[in-house]
Amino acid sequence: MADALPAELSKVDPADAWAAWRPTDALPWDRKWVAHLYRRAAFGPSPADTDRALADGPEKTLDRLMAGEPNPALPDDLLADTAGYYGDPNGLRGWWLYAMLETGHPLREKLTLFWHNHFATSYGKVRSTALMREQNLLLRRHALGKFRPFLLDVSRDTAMLVWLDSNRNVKGAPNENFSREVMELFSLGVGNYTEKDVQEAARAFTGWHHDPEVERFEYNPDLHDDGSKTVFGKTGAWNGDDIVRLCCDRPACARFLVGKLYAFLVSETPPPKGLLAPLEERFRAGDYDIADLVRTVLGSRLFFSAHAYHKRVKWPVEFAVGAVRAVVPPRPADPNVRWVSVGDLTDPLGKMGQALFAPPNVKGWRTGTDWLNSATLLARNNFAETVATGTWPRGPTPGPGGRTVAVKKAAETKDAPGEEPPPPPDPKFDVAEVVLAAKPAGAPAVVARAAELLYGEGVPPAARSKVEAFLAAGGEKDADGPAFRQKVREAVHALMCLPEYQLC
Amino acid sequence: MFSRRDFLSRTLGGTSLLAVGGVVPEFLARAARAADQDPAARDKDTVLVVVELTGGNDGLNTVAPFADDLYHKARPTLAFRRNEVLKLDDHVGLHPRMGDLKRLFDQKQLAVVQGVGYPNPDRSHFESMDIWQLADPKRAEVNGWLGRTIPAMRVSEAGVPGMYVGQDRLPVALQGADGRVISLADRASFKLQLTGHADGRRKLLQDLNAGTDGGELAAFVQKRQLQTYASLKKIEDALADAGQPNNNGNNGRNNEGELGTLNGKLNLIARLIQKGLGTRIYYASINGFDTHSGQAEMHANLLAEVSSAIGGFFGALGAEAPRVVLMTYSEFGRRVRENGSRGTDHGSGSNLFVAGPKVAGGVVGKHPSLSDLTDGDLKFHTDFRRVYATLLDDWLGVESRTILGDRFAALPLVDKAKKVDAPAPAGNAAPGEAPPPLPAKQ
Repeated sequence: MADALPAELSKVDPADAWAAWRPTDALPWDRKWVAHLYRRAAFGPSPADTDRALADGPEKTLDRLMAGEPNPALPDDLLADTAGYYGDPNGLRGWWLYAMLETGHPLREKLTLFWHNHFATSYGKVRSTALMREQNLLLRRHALGKFRPFLLDVSRDTAMLVWLDSNRNVKGAPNENFSREVMELFSLGVGNYTEKDVQEAARAFTGWHHDPEVERFEYNPDLHDDGSKTVFGKTGAWNGDDIVRLCCDRPACARFLVGKLYAFLVSETPPPKGLLAPLEERFRAGDYDIADLVRTVLGSRLFFSAHAYHKRVKWPVEFAVGAVRAVVPPRPADPNVRWVSVGDLTDPLGKMGQALFAPPNVKGWRTGTDWLNSATLLARNNFAETVATGTWPRGPTPGPGGRTVAVKKAAETKDAPGEEPPPPPDPKFDVAEVVLAAKPAGAPAVVARAAELLYGEGVPPAARSKVEAFLAAGGEKDADGPAFRQKVREAVHALMCLPEYQLC
Repeated sequence: MFSRRDFLSRTLGGTSLLAVGGVVPEFLARAARAADQDPAARDKDTVLVVVELTGGNDGLNTVAPFADDLYHKARPTLAFRRNEVLKLDDHVGLHPRMGDLKRLFDQKQLAVVQGVGYPNPDRSHFESMDIWQLADPKRAEVNGWLGRTIPAMRVSEAGVPGMYVGQDRLPVALQGADGRVISLADRASFKLQLTGHADGRRKLLQDLNAGTDGGELAAFVQKRQLQTYASLKKIEDALADAGQPNNNGNNGRNNEGELGTLNGKLNLIARLIQKGLGTRIYYASINGFDTHSGQAEMHANLLAEVSSAIGGFFGALGAEAPRVVLMTYSEFGRRVRENGSRGTDHGSGSNLFVAGPKVAGGVVGKHPSLSDLTDGDLKFHTDFRRVYATLLDDWLGVESRTILGDRFAALPLVDKAKKVDAPAPAGNAAPGEAPPPLPAKQ
């Protein structure tokens, strides 16, 4: 049991893979694995998160991630309530990003993001922040719940009904949009149903409408086809609820969902045949208990192994929120709240290819290596520059007293040699404050601390020595002087432009 | 044959950012090997350039039915006589100032698609432009037709699939593909931000990306990161080059406002394609086609620019030309009868051009009848989505049904198997064939 898992994934015994992980001398619970867990189960650790997790150990840390903080600064009812104040999609994006940054239950936000991509719905067509908000709250409610009631609620969600043309689905003239996606993208995957199943299921969903006036689900019995339908070989006067049930009864359902969650939580390398079988079985036997599945995966030996470590590309939201949490100074009164205005994240996220509430189509975003092209990588590099140099366009958010603290915006500097150095950023945004907080002495110690904050573990030795050389060049003796601090910020940017930083 | 040397010079050529020296770092060698495995990959990367003629181009004076008496009757001051047009056949001819397009037509590299439109035409600029750009007469689609195409399209390496060249906001056609479309408005729009010790930092980034021991996925990201830096350099170089005369007979006409004229935009696009940027859809527009009064001279200048810009574009592309197809479109045509101000009002059913060495040249479809009109407008017979479908299926290799939501019959526009001779010398049409193009509008 204590033996390490085989280096070849195909040789890993599925039973071993999903057994609970216990730290060993060879594989201790350290910063590397804390950061790994937090990157997957949350949006990356803040320095305070790391310290606490190291003290608590893996079991307790995972318990807390699963349950969330008992008394979070951002309670659920406040979260739901505040969502109502945004009348434009950028406002709503900011609201959700704020929740991701400051929530006491990051795993739930993380899975809400997963389900947003799974049940991908876009404001572009829905055209209502109220409906997108409601859907988002629905996703959050079920994110760690059970899949059957989840899918049932989604099938009655107004934004989804608008998105997939449900009002056009009427007796005698069925519209297959929803019934196709419910099988292809929401529960079974391509190849696990027939065209006939889609057509018959569409009839069952006829009359599954929304009232555009009150923006609510509405069953319209006059437009419902109550005749007999045959879906997956089963015949009856099925309605929409029956189709959801029949989909969830299919063996493919567990296979499909476990596969997708595996790619999100563990690795984007396709798993060998049979590796996920124990998870599928467990998921089915527990009637699709998402929390149980997630907990099993996140606590497993495979999760804490090289087969999972850095085996996925960060989504843009993970990249941006994670960077802020890692190196932007917290407010003195609350180590989990920062001054950064979430509005400053929305535009860069669009450029990185992930505008929340606006996935490109019902298939969701193209993830994995598809996140990375010249435009999106440039946007990631440039966002890293904003974080590292503290040049946030909007300045700090209102202080605890409710009043905006006036600061001068850091001047734009010319990209040319021999220019005056840029002025230091507002200390509220100065990553050098965080890196130098524990007073590391000398370039190697500074780079080691920056790498620790950004990666958990150190960076590869070759890269480390280059960054150390950069930091030492110029010979600024005063380790706390403005010239050195500027170099620290520049080194942080370089560390965020390493290929490994794009990996989750 | 696409060699490793080609790959390196294409992806890294002229890149001062990367001190490759005499030694090929391991990751570059890997990248080159990957490219070597599929030497045909680059040839498969076809490119589509979409040129929007903003304002409603007068199709009737672009492709003039000179042989039809009704045309002359409806257009007493604006009609072109038989001996003025550049004849395409016995019935229609191009506007006299479109010499370059006539040359392409004669080389069987220009398709003139007639009678293009959609049912119940909308004569509002805004609405009709939306319909064309969404490819949806109901305007129920959320994302533009190219924005929907991009996620379904194959792109090699770190290529950004779509690019809009121009200063206005992103056209609806390209919306919905966040992170996969660049808007290139000026030199500042696609730039790595490095403040402070910029030179030292640039060198550090370069050094840091010179090799990783972080495993396969990290090596992949590193390759993409390098290609990103190389792309930045390519775009910067292309912008710098585009300020220079382009040696294709348009000397002296591209010096001003590189991105302000269609000539400048297409010239820049040609250079980006030549540098192997990897972008597959380019979009540019030229405004001013809303010719309600005093149409003749204005329209002539515009069409002269369209024609010479397209002619110059394929000339500048040189050996890359066979993988490029360019299409024009406008939101609507104009009323058959000219108005009292020697202009024309909003109409419907018009024509468009599809150009390129691999285009099946010729006149496609009949000219719509001038005796059978709807509200004084031409009747369309070819749904514009058939043009889109053809370019998607036959040129970009994207299944059109999934993009357009329906099947549209293909048109004979593309001939991928066509043998292409060495690129024809670009430049002015032979003397006597057509009047020389006018200078681009200021």
